[in-house]
Amino acid sequence: MTQTIDISSYSAITDAIRNEARRILSDSTVSAVIGYTAGRRKGSTQPIVITTADDADQLIFSAACLNDLVVYLTKAKKDVPKGGRIGIVVKGCDLKALVGLLGESQLKRENLYLIGIPCSGVLGSLLKPAAELTTETIASKCCECTDQLPVGCDFVPTVTPTPLPDLEKRYANEIARLEAMNPSERWEFWKEQFSKCIKCYACRQVCPFCFCEQCLCDRNRPQMVEQTPRPLGNTAWHLMRAMHLAGRCAGCGECERVCPMDIPLNLLNRKMAKELKELFNSEAGFEVREAGPLTSYREDDDQSFIR
Amino acid sequence: MHSEKPKHDFEPKIIAFVCTWCTYAGADLAGTSRMQYPSNVRVLKFPCTGRIDPVFILKAFQQGADGILVSGCHPGDCHYIAGNYHARRRFAVFRKLLEFIGVDLNRIQFSWVSAAEGGKWVEVVTDLTERVRAMGPMVEFKDLVLEEQWSGNLNNPELQAVYEAM
Amino acid sequence: MSRIGVFICHCGENISRTVDVEQVAAQAALMPGVAFAVDYKYMCSDPGQNLVKNAITEHRLTHVVVAACSPRMHERTFRKAVEQAGLNPFLCEMANIREHCSWVHEDREEATDKAIEIVGMLVERVKKNRVLPTITVPVTKRALVIGGGIAGIQAALDIADAGHQVVLVEREPSIGGHMAQLSETFPTLDCSQCIMTPKMVDVANHPNITLHTYSEIEQVDGYIGNFQITVRKKARSVDEHKCTGCGVCMTKCPQKKIPNSFDCNLGTRTAIYVPFPQAVPNVPVIDRENCTMFKSGKCGVCQKACGPGAVDFEQQDQLIVEPVGAIVVSTGFELYRITEKTKGSPIKGYGEFGHGKIPDVIDGMTFERLASASGPTGGKIQRPSDGKEPKQVVFIQCVGSRSREKGISYCSKVCCMYTAKHTMLYHHKVHDGQAYVFFMDARVPGKSYDEFWRRAIEDEEAVYIRGMVSRLYQKGDKIVVMGSDISVGVQVEIEADLVVLATAVQPQKGADLLAQKLGISYDKYNFYSEAHAKLRPVECATAGIYLAGACQGPKDIPDTVSQASAAAAKVMTLFAKDKLEREPIVARVKESGCVGCFACKKVCAYGAIEEKEIRDRQGNLVKVVAYVNPGVCAGCGTCQATCPSKSVELDGYTDEQIVAMIEAL
Ligand SMILES: Cc1cc2nc3c(=O)[nH]c(=O)nc-3n(C[C@H](O)[C@H](O)[C@H](O)COP(=O)(O)OP(=O)(O)OC[C@H]3O[C@@H](n4cnc5c(N)ncnc54)[C@H](O)[C@@H]3O)c2cc1C
Ligand code: SF4
Ligand code: SF4
Ligand code: SF4
Ligand code: SF4
Ligand code: SF4
Ligand code: FES
Repeated sequence: MTQTIDISSYSAITDAIRNEARRILSDSTVSAVIGYTAGRRKGSTQPIVITTADDADQLIFSAACLNDLVVYLTKAKKDVPKGGRIGIVVKGCDLKALVGLLGESQLKRENLYLIGIPCSGVLGSLLKPAAELTTETIASKCCECTDQLPVGCDFVPTVTPTPLPDLEKRYANEIARLEAMNPSERWEFWKEQFSKCIKCYACRQVCPFCFCEQCLCDRNRPQMVEQTPRPLGNTAWHLMRAMHLAGRCAGCGECERVCPMDIPLNLLNRKMAKELKELFNSEAGFEVREAGPLTSYREDDDQSFIR
Repeated sequence: MHSEKPKHDFEPKIIAFVCTWCTYAGADLAGTSRMQYPSNVRVLKFPCTGRIDPVFILKAFQQGADGILVSGCHPGDCHYIAGNYHARRRFAVFRKLLEFIGVDLNRIQFSWVSAAEGGKWVEVVTDLTERVRAMGPMVEFKDLVLEEQWSGNLNNPELQAVYEAM
Repeated sequence: MSRIGVFICHCGENISRTVDVEQVAAQAALMPGVAFAVDYKYMCSDPGQNLVKNAITEHRLTHVVVAACSPRMHERTFRKAVEQAGLNPFLCEMANIREHCSWVHEDREEATDKAIEIVGMLVERVKKNRVLPTITVPVTKRALVIGGGIAGIQAALDIADAGHQVVLVEREPSIGGHMAQLSETFPTLDCSQCIMTPKMVDVANHPNITLHTYSEIEQVDGYIGNFQITVRKKARSVDEHKCTGCGVCMTKCPQKKIPNSFDCNLGTRTAIYVPFPQAVPNVPVIDRENCTMFKSGKCGVCQKACGPGAVDFEQQDQLIVEPVGAIVVSTGFELYRITEKTKGSPIKGYGEFGHGKIPDVIDGMTFERLASASGPTGGKIQRPSDGKEPKQVVFIQCVGSRSREKGISYCSKVCCMYTAKHTMLYHHKVHDGQAYVFFMDARVPGKSYDEFWRRAIEDEEAVYIRGMVSRLYQKGDKIVVMGSDISVGVQVEIEADLVVLATAVQPQKGADLLAQKLGISYDKYNFYSEAHAKLRPVECATAGIYLAGACQGPKDIPDTVSQASAAAAKVMTLFAKDKLEREPIVARVKESGCVGCFACKKVCAYGAIEEKEIRDRQGNLVKVVAYVNPGVCAGCGTCQATCPSKSVELDGYTDEQIVAMIEAL
């Protein structure tokens, strides 16, 4: 049964973000704030960087605020942080990515002013941005979210997020479904999925963690991954990507959302996350880790698979 | 001693990624002790298992490997203190990924073989070869190769010559 | 284009018996890039090597593949030969067709095919090999020794005697460490001071030793051969150069009742003091916390009394930079104290033994001071509470040690022996007294150790009770000790006058902080870790740093001294050459690609990776990238496998080389 999810708090959140942005811009706490603003289509949103208090009223928060803005700190707007401390609006999942970047020396906490969102969920897609947020339209990542309230921010509006109803755990279920198959069925599934890839690299572009200046798959001496959008190279790209994100991915789901070919990228990410949790009890969170699960070890790690 | 060896229909291609200090030395010991094992394995020497990148394993499958062995020093014995601990985590995760996309994990063996374990080297290599032989060729990646309508291979001799000239 | 020479060895018949070497040569000659291929009976022999050398000149070879035995056998031989012919040694590779082929396969056809493939792999690999210059690192022939206990003293003297400069840094006002506190030492019962003080004086007088006491390590920069050490010389308030050591100041100081920690607080000292009469250097220090001058600004009696005018209340901490090439760490141990439960201590506490609450429950070191002829009682065994001679003494072993529930699972190693020693010393001094020992096992391996322990029981009448003490409490002026004797299965209760606890040997407070400065690893108890438990027990994993004494694990004096001399020998080996030469198999960062995520730094077990700032011409920070110190990198390549963008590459094992081999298959 489809159920509506209460997001009436989002207007209060919008007001709170605007006030806070106005305050920190006018007292020069920050030189810019990265947030969301209304998009051209009804209901849609887009990222915005504001630099004056007067622009604070352009900020909004709604169920269509899907983007993980953290990516702007490392890539597109790499130069923004050079202008001084900047403010950024983050949902719980975004914050986990940001925390990961702190741990990977890509950002400094003191250069950031974090405005956390007590999030009740966002839409799964921007195709119908004005759609109501329901148990159907909600993003898959939100269905398994345990971090609705960000921790460790400089400012969080005093609003309690709506407790999410018991939602179908889409990733977990899909992982279980695949795990129950035999290897050749799984291979067929993924072969089909990977063969769709057109190597547009939107997934890489949007991922906060793909901040490499030269991605391994663009290298040709030696060529580690075939560069053409063909089955062999696609498979290699997706496996390599899953490995590179393993233990780092925060689960923001952006890669999957932007993929024009609807490849379930986050399914691979979630599977890796599940394994890392089971093997090493390690998962992305709100606390900066000295080292991730694949840059550290314990002497008594599981080695039952080694002869 | 020269018993007639049975000829098989299928001879798998086994690629072994090993560290210099333990497993490579263990394989040397198997040699000096004149132990016998199937000739299918090709050994790639690394300074340490810590250097072994999962991408190499993908490469090897793409090159037509039917079985893969990754082997190094026992925990605590790594010549570089902790390379094998890092490798252990890396491959614990990588094999789960391979399994999830449908690679039969029976084609991949991980082992610790010390410089003194020539016998273990022989066992590990023989078992893997026999097992993979029974499984038949690894068709999955080979199919992908066939499906490449345009090879897109940048390592062809012409381009290679251009690179060398650069 | 490469012109590769392939040289196939018969190894007598070792290879040619199963591998058709002529065919391998014929096939190799056809491989792309191969300019010359030949087989020969013994490639490693002189004529064989000459064959390689001549072919290099004659055929203008750019690379060489020798198909023969294991590279572990002859790689050096052939690389040297190639170098003599004018090629960079790292342009030569070996194809192992003996251990990995001819010796392990019988079928000639299979073995030949395999040999051809192995050669093919190496031919492809060698094309990607790059010229690698040997790395040389200059060596500063000066050593730093941290900690002046017997370990540090021994190491410093050995290195100095070999003619090298040594800087010895000791945290306390005097060197000597714990051995200076001991009364007599097992297993010979010679007086500790008598064997120790001459060595301490040797240190003071040695022309090659610079001694910084009352000093600590502030900062460590650099790497093997080239460390820069910043030493903080704490303000002593007495000018070391002016002081003659007459000691008049101490006789005049009005503060006389300060507990002397050297005597385990049994005796007292003044505010200006030397910790013990034989201290080296024999220069007092002012304990500013207890000095009237520092507390109230009025006094200065010592300054007036001092003839040479050495007392200086204004003295400041000094920072001294010492360039050294090698470091010996010998910071020793401390005893676990039940009363002073330090933060982060793994021990959960032994409230049941009343230490700190009952004055006559003391630890082993306190007993050493009681028994010491130069101690606060002049060597008379008197109990702290009332100075009476105790007639019944209970010794309890393994307090803190060997109990996982309480926090420490290791054995402190010296307690069995020193407790046996204590019972003897006690029996020698109190003839009508009785010593009881509660013990779990007697662990007394060592030359003359078992005999010593037996003597305590058989000749000196100590009563050994196998079992642990469950409880003890004060009753009048006695201490009731309750325990069980598990060998006979009965409860025992002893009314003791004095109880001595053999508390656990722990690393010094702050051992972890020092390790972090040095970049060396330590275990969960903060004992420093050796590079290999069996084969490299004195080296740290960090090149150029060596361990001596109890800082690496509990040790007695003979073991400590042996390890100290071993560490000194390692330092001397390092100093035997002016330059450190090492194989250039090290990682290098491609700065253009590196994004400074420092995943590489996190996995490097050697701390070889540093952060490096890249600035533009105006001095603006462009980015921070990784930098691999070639002097420190051990060449494992873990960093490269970890770096997502492969911006760090291990020379000699580059991705190009490895992929070339895989693609040759
Ligand atoms: C009660 C007792 C009785 C013993 N009896 C015997 C015996 O009879 N026979 C025997 O063989 N062994 C005996 N031992 C063992 C013996 O004491 C040790 O083997 C020996 O003292 C170890 O020497 P060391 O130099 O390693 O450490 P230590 O003697 O502890 O010396 C370490 C030195 O380093 C200094 N230091 C520490 N940290 C720093 C720092 N950060 N910077 C600068 N300096 C620092 C300390 O001040 C100290 O001077 C006994 C031990 C105990 C506890
Ligand atoms: S896929 Fe890997 S190499 Fe490429 S950008 Fe992402 S993390 Fe970097
Ligand atoms: S891999 Fe995908 S889900 Fe994970 S952090 Fe990157 S964009 Fe987000
Ligand atoms: S976004 Fe989708 S189609 Fe584009 S590269 Fe990524 S997976 Fe392939
Ligand atoms: S070399 Fe690679 S792992 Fe190291 S800091 Fe640079 S990008 Fe990160
Ligand atoms: S090769 Fe090994 S030792 Fe060298 S920098 Fe990399 S991780 Fe450290
Ligand atoms: S050297 Fe063998 S695993 Fe590291």
